[in-house]
Amino acid sequence: MHEVSVALGLLEGVESTAREQGIDRVTAVHVRIGALSGIVRDALMFSWDVVTAETICEGSQLRVEEVPLVVYCERCGRERAPRPGSGLVCPECSAIAPRILSGREMQLVAMEVPQ
Amino acid sequence: MTKMRVVAIARNLMVKNDAIAERLRERFARNGTLVVNLLSSPGSGKTTLLQATLERLAARYRAAVLVGDQATENDAMRLARSGVAVRQITTGAECRLDADMVATALADWEERPCDVLFIENVGNLICPAEYDLGEDLRVVLFSVTEGEDKPLKYPLAFNTSHVVVVTKTDIAAAVGYDRDAATTSIRQVNPQARIIELSARTGVGMDEWSSLLEERIRAKSLAPAK
Repeated sequence: MHEVSVALGLLEGVESTAREQGIDRVTAVHVRIGALSGIVRDALMFSWDVVTAETICEGSQLRVEEVPLVVYCERCGRERAPRPGSGLVCPECSAIAPRILSGREMQLVAMEVPQ
Repeated sequence: MTKMRVVAIARNLMVKNDAIAERLRERFARNGTLVVNLLSSPGSGKTTLLQATLERLAARYRAAVLVGDQATENDAMRLARSGVAVRQITTGAECRLDADMVATALADWEERPCDVLFIENVGNLICPAEYDLGEDLRVVLFSVTEGEDKPLKYPLAFNTSHVVVVTKTDIAAAVGYDRDAATTSIRQVNPQARIIELSARTGVGMDEWSSLLEERIRAKSLAPAK
């Protein structure tokens, strides 16, 4: 639901790195978005097109890597991916596994620019 | 075709919010202010719980409230009747409060620190969960009418909260609330959270809730309670 402000945050990050490196054109931006972040991929792509109009990112591709929820199960002693909608529960042994290892990401990873 | 090169950026989008939240946290610690961030779906009873809470606390502690809503100042007007300092943050398109909005709203409150600041977040269980506001206590409300599996649908809001308040227990029987199922789903995302069941309307459970707050207010305060 906060895709527009996330898109603006991404644009701000891209623009500041571009300024530092004297880059004036960006063709693609890579981001990682966690399953728990509440970000809807299509809404983020749509917001990206809107907020990048008339910027160095106009017309650029937003490449979204979706990061699944991974927790640490104490009972199994290993990383597990809970089934969607099951909470933070180990899919193998059904123990509650509240330690979230990944799935909360909202990261700007890289950008592609003309050489 | 033009050749492309890849430039690494590696930046967490929450960095800016978290830095502002950290500054707020330092300021609240300096002032001895306990900060409570209230999260819930629309209609779970945040404003009603706050009204009942302020009635109990306002005589003994200096309280203030920040209320976030996308539109209208109705909640702020309801809360202002309790006589405490209330400020509305109208977020417009934004579906949550962030640390910068809180810092802006508090910019000119520095001169009169309070014992407890309640932040009523925008009614939404998704986005507010991501944003640290510098709070000491994150409280998620969950009314008996909402469906016992709500914590499983919004795991982050429940996982990151210290306290889960089950509200509107006076109508639990009428709506067929399954207490065991609700407790199980809360525990599946957060085994540690304190669970408090109450009805702000009848007052049942309000003692437990206000004792928890008073304990935390006294622990954070710099001076002995009035």
